[in-house]
Amino acid sequence: MSHQSLSSLLPLPVVFPLAGAALAPLAVRLSRHALTIVSVLAPLASAAVLVAAAPTVYRGRVLTEYLGNWKPVNGQVLGVTFGVDAWGLTFALVTASIGAILLMFMLSSHAQLGRRELGASACLFLLLDAAVIGGALTADLFNIFVWFEVAALASYALTAFFLERPPALEAAFKLLVLTNVASFLIFIATALLYSEHGALNLGQLHNALVAHTGTADLIALGLLIAGFATKAGLVPFHGWLPDAHTAAPGPVSALFSGLMVNFGIATIGRLVFTVYPRTGTHVLGLLMVLGLVSALGGAIFALLQDDLKRLLAYDTISQMGVLAVGLATASRTGLAGTTYHLVNHALFKSLMFLCAGAIVHATGATNLSDLHGLARRMPWLVGAFTVGAAAIAGIPPLNGYVSLGLIHDALHQSGQPVPYVLMLLAQIVTVAALGKVVLAFLRPQRNPYARDERLRSGMLAALLLLAGSCLTIGIFPEWVLDNLVAPASMALPDASGYAHAVLSGGGRVAAGSVPYRYVNLRELILLPITLALAGPLIWVARRYRDSDVVTRIRSVQTGSVNDYAGYLVIGLLVTVASTALTPLLR
Amino acid sequence: MIVVNYLAAVALFCLGLYTVLTRRNLLKIVMGMSLMEASTYLFLLSLAYRKGSTAPVLVSPPDGQSPARLANGNVADPVLQNFCLTAIVIGVAVTGVFLAVVVRIAQHYRTLDADRVRDMRG
Amino acid sequence: MSGIPEPSEEEPRHHATVGLLLSAGVAAALIVAVLTLPRADNPLPAIARRAMTVALPEWKTTEPVSEVVYGTRGFDTFGETFLLLAAVVGMGLITRAREPRRGFIGEQVAGRREQHRTDPTPGRGSADQRQAQRAEAGEEGRRSGPASPDDEPLGSPGPERAEAMTVVVRAAVRTVAPLLTMAGLYLVAWGYTPGGGFPAGAVALGVVLLVYVSLGYRRVEPWLRPGVIEPIELAGAVAIVLLGVLGLGLEGSFSANFLPLGPVQTIRSGGVLQVFSVSELIEVATGLVLAVFGLLGMGHDWEPDESRDASGAPAPGGSRDRR
Repeated sequence: MSHQSLSSLLPLPVVFPLAGAALAPLAVRLSRHALTIVSVLAPLASAAVLVAAAPTVYRGRVLTEYLGNWKPVNGQVLGVTFGVDAWGLTFALVTASIGAILLMFMLSSHAQLGRRELGASACLFLLLDAAVIGGALTADLFNIFVWFEVAALASYALTAFFLERPPALEAAFKLLVLTNVASFLIFIATALLYSEHGALNLGQLHNALVAHTGTADLIALGLLIAGFATKAGLVPFHGWLPDAHTAAPGPVSALFSGLMVNFGIATIGRLVFTVYPRTGTHVLGLLMVLGLVSALGGAIFALLQDDLKRLLAYDTISQMGVLAVGLATASRTGLAGTTYHLVNHALFKSLMFLCAGAIVHATGATNLSDLHGLARRMPWLVGAFTVGAAAIAGIPPLNGYVSLGLIHDALHQSGQPVPYVLMLLAQIVTVAALGKVVLAFLRPQRNPYARDERLRSGMLAALLLLAGSCLTIGIFPEWVLDNLVAPASMALPDASGYAHAVLSGGGRVAAGSVPYRYVNLRELILLPITLALAGPLIWVARRYRDSDVVTRIRSVQTGSVNDYAGYLVIGLLVTVASTALTPLLR
Repeated sequence: MIVVNYLAAVALFCLGLYTVLTRRNLLKIVMGMSLMEASTYLFLLSLAYRKGSTAPVLVSPPDGQSPARLANGNVADPVLQNFCLTAIVIGVAVTGVFLAVVVRIAQHYRTLDADRVRDMRG
Repeated sequence: MSGIPEPSEEEPRHHATVGLLLSAGVAAALIVAVLTLPRADNPLPAIARRAMTVALPEWKTTEPVSEVVYGTRGFDTFGETFLLLAAVVGMGLITRAREPRRGFIGEQVAGRREQHRTDPTPGRGSADQRQAQRAEAGEEGRRSGPASPDDEPLGSPGPERAEAMTVVVRAAVRTVAPLLTMAGLYLVAWGYTPGGGFPAGAVALGVVLLVYVSLGYRRVEPWLRPGVIEPIELAGAVAIVLLGVLGLGLEGSFSANFLPLGPVQTIRSGGVLQVFSVSELIEVATGLVLAVFGLLGMGHDWEPDESRDASGAPAPGGSRDRR
């Protein structure tokens, strides 16, 4: 197929799930099977289109499509442009394929629910999936904002799905407030950039910013980073994230954690590396600080939790921090590690949230202390969960080993000892937090749970697919690196190549390979040390569970929506200061 | 003097933000968000304005101009007005969801005080 | 929350000083940004000028904003359509009544526990809630009341319980509603003047609400069954998707124009813009109606109610949702 006709198909990966969303509530009137067919086929169809584009894109091409044939005139683009490079395609592909798996799991595990509520939640699920795909593929700032809002509106009701749970509604309100403030920030930043440069197309914007970056542009960058960091759940923009995950249905948490937060981090990467010129701001230092605070803070809070899904949610914050640190290294290895880890995180965090959701769904117990002895009652779920935990811990041959190794390598090479040590520390705490969960499942049972239930075939298939993927891309890292990750991480920082491609109907971006050695002595020595230190940490966390220090640390997360909005604003001020203050004072 | 409009929009935005940060009544938080939303409309429409410009409407143009000439004449920015339309639709949608959630919270928690709607903390 | 007194009239504040400082910080950042912006005397950006010139000679429409909304940047509006769908379906989900479920659902057990922690008061809840439930029960019984206040004897005590409004209002609305409907249709049909699907949809909602408040729920009820109106809404969304796909199939690009462009200032000018706008009207009007009546018909049936659980009788209210 020619590049031209391939490019013209690019809107379809967004359109298929949207059409599926419009059809889902109608399909459920026919039968539940019709609903399952419509809602699993729609994201699979988008994945198929993306796979068709993959060979071209991963060979270093950017496919560009001007929607409605509104081509640039003298380098100025009025219409919406899709510009698909390997970075965007990777996330779109992950979102489409994992989205299909999650939907299959949800419709299978929630089959006892009422028809209409199931149809409506499948509809919102597909809308959210489509919005994340749209955000990954588009090369237009305002169009990114539109997809951000579609994702946001779909996420609210999904959070509040179980209306009998008061925390679900509380979480929905917090999510609404924080996401809405974030959307205002993005909207204002878009307006600022448009009135400065008259540009919406990311390529046109890049060229204009290279020619002249004014104060308003830098403030706009601060606003944009704050807005998308809220979606990504970086500290201190994270207030909504733990709450939204606690009470949402399991597959919805998996969707939020595995796919929706990626929207934020991938867009930050796009803006920092592909749109803005990287001179004159402290944006990389900012990402490093935000990343380290999130990585450590998220891990510590995860260790202190007793609620299973809340623990995993804090771990998501921690992993998003790891990704931000990877972006902040800005080196070839670091960006490759980030790309790899983003894919990995989507896989293992979805897997773990599906397990956690299925456990809550089958037992009604949400706290770890009520879930002792689960390993004997639900061996499949606990097994799948353990695979995910081991992947996060970076135990070979699972995928986490490779991506964490790459990010650690990048930090080591860049000669920044403090971030490196802090990252290792965060890793130890993360392992302790997840080890705590697995150990709890293995303990002897004290009180019987309300009920336990067999796994349905759809659920089992989803778990096996995700766990199998974790293993597969961990076993063949060289292939994944050379063919998928390296093109994505090389495309991201090639701003001028992307800008040229987006403005001239397609083009090439930089290609290359990322050096990597699987048998990395430093990592292999650090791994047992990490595991050995995590053990005592679990004991300490248990022993001092109710101590003053722990209570005081936990009281930072006050639960008040005013406070969370305040944290967001503090983060916003820090972000704007680091992007705009230095050039202003100079 | 359009800069006055810009500053008014900033003032409205920050008044809304102040409401969100300090008011504990959930409905007032929603109102604060609506105020912030409205300030962005004002900001965008002010950005679209040009000195002495007419609306970007080409039907029956003023002073005997032809529509085709007006297209190249002094008009306000239609692209920003399009964004403003989008923002208004989003504002309506978000406010609707907001209110539905607030009603459900009131039913479950029997209060609208944000300090008492915090079962989840730590 | 039995132990805590009912909220007083005095407005509680939360860290007012900190809030003030943070808002001032944001204000400072934004003021710096807006002061450096160009101010009303710079030329229009090239793409805005392009939007003007593309409207008239090329699209043959005299309304550039509609041209941008449904034409050149139609894909944003395409996304917006689904944003609205997300809001409407989401509100439907939040305002929904209980549906029968089978078997054991862990989240329900967790919910019961959490509700007890949130609100340990046993029995039938606070005075407010009881009052709300009584009011709802009263609304249910409305059908036995008089059709309009005109039928009630003068000077009868108590709140008005009639379904409709007086003959004056009813006559006025009967006159106005068709005119408003015409105005809404005009907005969408004459696409070369300011208007389009979104404002027309809002007007349509206004008409439905006017009829509802003046003539009573019974008059609008047959039109408002979700079984009727929801498929129409989804059909609007599907039509917009099909329109885009037809552009891809016939013109080689998603959402491209494939219809002949009629002469300027006629109902046919603008080609695919008009079809998009009409589909948008269908989606917006039905979506808004669903959302508003979803909110109005919200019942009280998600809180655990021990008395109901014991007797097995349905909760008061919420029956409207099950229409």
